[in-house]
Amino acid sequence: MRLFVADLRKLVRRPASWVTLVLLLALLALILVVLVAAARTSTEPQAALGARQFVTFPGAYELVLTLILGIGGLLAVTYGAAIGGSEWGWGTLKAAVARGESRSRYTLLNFASVAVFTWLGLLAAFVLGVVGAAVGGLILGVPPGGITDPEGLRRLPELLGRAGLALAMNAAFGYAVATVARSQLAGIAVGLGLFFAEGIAGLFLPDVFQWFPFSASSAVTSPLSGGGVGAGGGGAGAVVTQLDQNTAIVVVCVWLVVAIVVAAAFTERAEIGG
Amino acid sequence: MTTGSGVALATQGLAKRYGSRVALDGLDLRVPEGVVYGFLGPNGAGKTTTMRILTGLVRADAGQVELLGRPFGRRDRRRLFDVGALIESPAFYPFLSGRENLRALAATGAPVSRARIDELLTLVNLRDRAGDRVSGYSLGMKQRLGIAAALLSDPRLLLLDEPANGLDPAGIVGMRDTLRALAAAGKTVFVSSHILSEVQQLVDVVGIIARGRLVREGPVSELLREAGAIRVRVAPDEVAAAAEVLLPVAGTGSVAPVSGPEAGWLTVRIDPTRGAEVNRVLADVGIYASRLESGTTLEGLFLELTGSRPDVAADAGSPGSSAPAASSTGWQS
Repeated sequence: MRLFVADLRKLVRRPASWVTLVLLLALLALILVVLVAAARTSTEPQAALGARQFVTFPGAYELVLTLILGIGGLLAVTYGAAIGGSEWGWGTLKAAVARGESRSRYTLLNFASVAVFTWLGLLAAFVLGVVGAAVGGLILGVPPGGITDPEGLRRLPELLGRAGLALAMNAAFGYAVATVARSQLAGIAVGLGLFFAEGIAGLFLPDVFQWFPFSASSAVTSPLSGGGVGAGGGGAGAVVTQLDQNTAIVVVCVWLVVAIVVAAAFTERAEIGG
Repeated sequence: MTTGSGVALATQGLAKRYGSRVALDGLDLRVPEGVVYGFLGPNGAGKTTTMRILTGLVRADAGQVELLGRPFGRRDRRRLFDVGALIESPAFYPFLSGRENLRALAATGAPVSRARIDELLTLVNLRDRAGDRVSGYSLGMKQRLGIAAALLSDPRLLLLDEPANGLDPAGIVGMRDTLRALAAAGKTVFVSSHILSEVQQLVDVVGIIARGRLVREGPVSELLREAGAIRVRVAPDEVAAAAEVLLPVAGTGSVAPVSGPEAGWLTVRIDPTRGAEVNRVLADVGIYASRLESGTTLEGLFLELTGSRPDVAADAGSPGSSAPAASSTGWQS
């Protein structure tokens, strides 16, 4: 427990935590502003209607989460890679192992703290997104009544849980890549490369790539999954997601476990130098 | 405090390769309890690899390690709760303060109290800067914090890799006093260093390795006595006669006239305490030494045993000073 608490304390003080959060909130706010502006100025009824969906509750809850998954997925990969890789680069893993700390325990708890911060980031972004959508709705003259829709509110915990798992998986993927690469920079670069490569490859082979981590994570909350265009991971809006929400969450959990096991197993067996 | 065997650390036939490069080639060490042990060797001799194996960071390809009286392997990580280590450069989170870094490290391995952290910050003279971010620390401050980190769990065995790196003279003296005090309290300090004059003042026992093998191990005083020599200066035309006279005293092969710019000097491999006897034997045959120097240093011994050569020639840029660096540094008038 003391190691987990120490990990949380470290992440609170770590600039990467705050930079990532600010980036997520800023990008989300920017997208909402663009959507509202598009809805106001677009001459195409279809486009205007699509933009208005993002500010119309209770459907906006799911759409805001889908937006967050799109931006947050990318940032979660980066964040996970930064935290995982720095343990090798700064030699802090070496110092802990030399003190007799269990390598796999250290890795698992370190990742657990990353997952907690990812969830906190998701919550902060969701609050901002909901407030932004509500304000956007007011600007566009959309009645705000749906915001208290009982059915929409009842589904919120489940949606947030799904999104939290998806973001944690993205972070775990970045963490595992950086652990195998033993480097922050290499981890971030390779993680982002895979993120975009999967998005592009998914355009050509959707049946195959729908099972891949970033495509699956973008489908866990998407109301458009099952054949529509997702706004989620694997290339922010590029992937055609085909998995239904429930299948997607199972696939995400499998990838999450795989990423954590790879990171822990690699750390357990690695020769630590440098 | 003691292990019962009287040996804090021992290795037998320790071997490690990195690809085709041999890092350790059957290393046998024996570190008694309660001493400061100097672990010396040229760059690439295998010192850091040994330290990594001793702390479970890398696996040996062959051989055994005994740590604190019992065999040490992959599954014995808890044995490291009694070991403190500073390996290569100190490792810290740059965005945390010195105190926060020690707290973060204290959350790993054996439990450590907050009072212990403050005590160590005081010991290494970092109390005033303990709240500052480590990214703003000088190399010497990081090194001091690294030593504090190694002492966190009040270890019975301390492994320090180049602990004097970046320390100022006061820091070096402080470190030396601390390590001597730890040894006096029955703890064992295993220290590698390139500052041989510092090691000579600090350690009780020394192990010298070269190319992954132990070439000499023993108490420093004993090794220096064994490696002792006397240098005698006579008139250049009396060198041959002096060598002949000294042979029965020192033994066959123990007298070597120095040629080149140092002509007139003889090196006599003999216990340095027998200087008066050497002088008398020469005087008895009418050869009067103009200078007689005795003694050697750990540095001289190290260079001789490891086959190392100074990177810069001793006489470079100085036509008049031509004494070989390996011996000239240690000779006292």
